[in-house]
Amino acid sequence: MTPRSQGLALGIVVVALAALALGYHNAFILNLVFVGLIYAVLGQSWNWISGYAGQISFGHALFFGCGAYASALFAVHHGSPWLALPAGALVAAALALAVGFPCFALRGHYFSIATIAVAAIAEIAVNNIGALGKANGFEMPILAPSLASLQFNDKGQYVLVALALFAIAQVATVTLERSRLGYYLRAIRANQEAAASVGVDARAAKLATFGAGAALAALAGSLYAQQTLYVGPEDTLALPISIAIALVGVVGGLSTVWGPALGALVYVALARYGGAVLGGQGHGLDLLLYGGLILLIVSWRPDGLAGIGRSIRRFAKRRSAEAPA
Amino acid sequence: MFALISVGLTLIFGVMDVVNFAHGEFLMLAMYLTFGFALVGLNPIFALPFVALAAFVLGALVYRLLIRRLLDGPPSTVVFGTFGLLVFLQGAAQYFFTSDYRSVPNPPFQGTLHLGNVALGEAQLIAGLGALVMTALVFAFVEFTEPGRALRALSEDRVAAQLMGIDVQRMNALAFGLGTACVGAAGALLMLTYPAFPRVGTEFALTAFVVVALGGFGSVQGALVGAILVGLVEVLGGFYISPALKLIPVYALYLVVVLLRPQGLLGRR
Repeated sequence: MTPRSQGLALGIVVVALAALALGYHNAFILNLVFVGLIYAVLGQSWNWISGYAGQISFGHALFFGCGAYASALFAVHHGSPWLALPAGALVAAALALAVGFPCFALRGHYFSIATIAVAAIAEIAVNNIGALGKANGFEMPILAPSLASLQFNDKGQYVLVALALFAIAQVATVTLERSRLGYYLRAIRANQEAAASVGVDARAAKLATFGAGAALAALAGSLYAQQTLYVGPEDTLALPISIAIALVGVVGGLSTVWGPALGALVYVALARYGGAVLGGQGHGLDLLLYGGLILLIVSWRPDGLAGIGRSIRRFAKRRSAEAPA
Repeated sequence: MFALISVGLTLIFGVMDVVNFAHGEFLMLAMYLTFGFALVGLNPIFALPFVALAAFVLGALVYRLLIRRLLDGPPSTVVFGTFGLLVFLQGAAQYFFTSDYRSVPNPPFQGTLHLGNVALGEAQLIAGLGALVMTALVFAFVEFTEPGRALRALSEDRVAAQLMGIDVQRMNALAFGLGTACVGAAGALLMLTYPAFPRVGTEFALTAFVVVALGGFGSVQGALVGAILVGLVEVLGGFYISPALKLIPVYALYLVVVLLRPQGLLGRR
């Protein structure tokens, strides 16, 4: 898609969801939309490093957790959530740089397993650190609803805030795709040696992307915590969350602007029937369907749902071009 | 116990240059199958050969139907494919078996052995011995039989092995089946001391990755040494630091090994 049609598509989605948030007051549906947007942002932040740069991370929940815990800590200690957002993002980015600096020397699955190991260490550590609430986590105090406290009575307003973050993530992705860094990343994914031989600093490019993605994931984590007002290791840091984030990215389509949003849509729709949204165990049917979907996509369409959409568009274009004027 | 799980993983990895993220899920399935046998009154030890055989067939099938297709794509395809398999199997287990913990009813070997002032659970002892015997069997197979030699040839140099007339597809299926049979046997033994639940595989698989990295990907002896080391680190970490934190040194060990000595302790490059 050209940038203009990207902007148009984003505009339509934003207007439609904003209208829904303001006009429709079904808390259940709005909650699903909110979680869907959070996952779309998480999937996108994962897509930067794992899609465009091809470094598959199975530990992304670590950064989501950074943001969530930042919000919780600021709320418990009477800080403004507007300070928690940048604080969580900074911590997440710093962690990503600290992890990425040694681990980007690893290739392929060695890197993937390392991300699982790091996230697992962090989860165990949080489970045992008193200042971080151990396994119980934090209940955040309920404040007077306002934009300053980032707490609202109406689910629709949470949706609006998440929508803003989603729009930022989408615009950032389009910018990334067309930037020098975006080309570097795709070159690294295709062949790191070849990219390095023409002067691409692979480690710096990967680090920048990983850090930015971690910060974005932390912002999503903060917003999520503002809405649930509870933060615990089980539903922010655990491996199933990392897996869910990767799921959203793979199903929608790697290295595509709209893939994570599509993946999140499917995820939320399935979770709605599976009864599990973020961390809940549900009865597993959603996971079963999701796993099946991934298997189908990986064996037949590695570019995911967005890729299928692209083929359909191309097909339609060819049809209209062939049709007599 | 980790040795057996890891030997399975290392076989698949070494021969096919493929990492199976769903390895732990095969373990989980094997545990449920053993549980099923136990429900009809079969001791896990006697169920072991059947479970291992079933796992072998399952592994070979999964290879034929899925993994072979993925090998044509870029390396990340296999990561995502086996990852999809992980999610699929976990979801299936949760859906059909629910997430309750299930243990063998009236488990055999409840006694305790006292060697001096060391107390050992009989079940643990038998599970450990069983794992050791199975590891030795796999080692013997890979080291001394004709198909075993073919497997090793493949892991050393795929193209040369192919030129010598080794059927790569058949050997890959064999390696995948054998690797899965190893976790099958491990699952049966594990049921002596551990409950089955849908997410049981993840925990063990992660440790198995540490073991395999430690021993060198693709080395059976390495897996055994790595398993013993990881077991020691886990126990010592639990003893000297805190039982709740015992897995931290284990995972940290993985990071240290892959960053500083990627070929593993015994691996060659």
